Amino acid sequence: MWRWLAEAMAVTAKDLRTEFRTRVAINSLGLFALTVLAAVSYTVGPYRIAAEDRPFLLAVLLWIVIFFAALAGLDRSFVKEEESHTAPLLRLAASPSAVWFGKLVFNLLVIYMLMAILVPLYCILMGYTILMVWEFVLILALGGYALAVITTIVAAIIARALTRGALFSVLSLPLLLPLMIFLIQGTAGVAEGSPEIVSSTVRAVLSMGGIMTIVSAALFPVVWSD
Amino acid sequence: MADGIRISFSDVAKRYDLRVVFRSVSGEAVPGEVLVITGPNGSGKSTLLSILCGLLRPTRGEVTYQRDGRIVERDAWRHYLGVVAPAMAVYEELDAMENLRFFARVRGMGPFEERCRECLDLVGLDPGRRTLVRGYSTGMAQRLKIAQAVLHDPPLLLLDEPGSNLDPAGKDWLEDYVGGLRAAGKTVVLATNDRREMEWGASHVALAG
Repeated sequence: MWRWLAEAMAVTAKDLRTEFRTRVAINSLGLFALTVLAAVSYTVGPYRIAAEDRPFLLAVLLWIVIFFAALAGLDRSFVKEEESHTAPLLRLAASPSAVWFGKLVFNLLVIYMLMAILVPLYCILMGYTILMVWEFVLILALGGYALAVITTIVAAIIARALTRGALFSVLSLPLLLPLMIFLIQGTAGVAEGSPEIVSSTVRAVLSMGGIMTIVSAALFPVVWSD
Repeated sequence: MADGIRISFSDVAKRYDLRVVFRSVSGEAVPGEVLVITGPNGSGKSTLLSILCGLLRPTRGEVTYQRDGRIVERDAWRHYLGVVAPAMAVYEELDAMENLRFFARVRGMGPFEERCRECLDLVGLDPGRRTLVRGYSTGMAQRLKIAQAVLHDPPLLLLDEPGSNLDPAGKDWLEDYVGGLRAAGKTVVLATNDRREMEWGASHVALAG
């Protein structure tokens, strides 16, 4: 178990090191997120939405920014391995499950880094008041995990396709849409201070993340190997 | 890993949709021997090597690894082999030591720092050099690929044009090294069109164009 974990963490550490040297995924995600955030805050701003609509509409905008930013860059971890012809040696050296988990942790860290910068900025620029702060952090954490699980397995699937650019969004969106709806409801719930909505959202996102983790872990060795 | 690997393949064919790469290829490589696979460009040498290392599945036929007379499961092949091939690259955003450390870690090797240095010394690269691989010449990158392949001291080596991009001194070293591998009881499968490399092994499999 520890050996497997060390192998997976080696994959994560390698991806982080190469990413910080090239900044391909971080630049894609970061620039997309900040551009959309700037556009939204400039055009909509904190005062153009009626007070009663703010919790829900600002939750919608927040998750749209996060999800589409994720779609702009989270396929890189696998696509880069294929494009730079490093995938064959990785296949021969590492166990499929360690590669999957290592890439998942990498994507998770990238999403959390994005959220750590984007969400406080969004709340300040849009004047988004959250009544249940810790529950909001929990929803962000669970949502980020489910988002990472789904994008990791879809990235692995599309990395071996020839028309990979368009496929990532096309294949990801049907899987991400229900998650996005749950997370919007939950975020509106924490903004309004509604514990019932928050607890149902946490259960739904946990279930979705758990199911996708099991499905991905089972599917990945087939996808990764020829 | 002292025990040798016997690799045999029989009636192996590969086809991509309507394009037939090769129809029926058979051969065997045993410990202490170099099996040379030859054939013109496009005859499928690299494809056959990818099948032999388990990266591709043949359309027909069978590949078998045996260790001490026992069949090795396909999932375990990767533990026993090292591969050098033009289509398999190391990480350009890492330096040589970082590459070898990474491959040592994902292979679950024990203390590996000294072994990584040994392998870089072996291929004539400076372990202290911090240049990223993207700044390497093609010959230096080829040397690093060879170091990566032998890092875990595998009993089976699959070499696809291993001398490509090496300078004359590098080719001389490689010839001596492969001779040493053979003497040490390693199994070597070599795909090449280089006349000099073809002479490294007594057994040959020729692929038709």
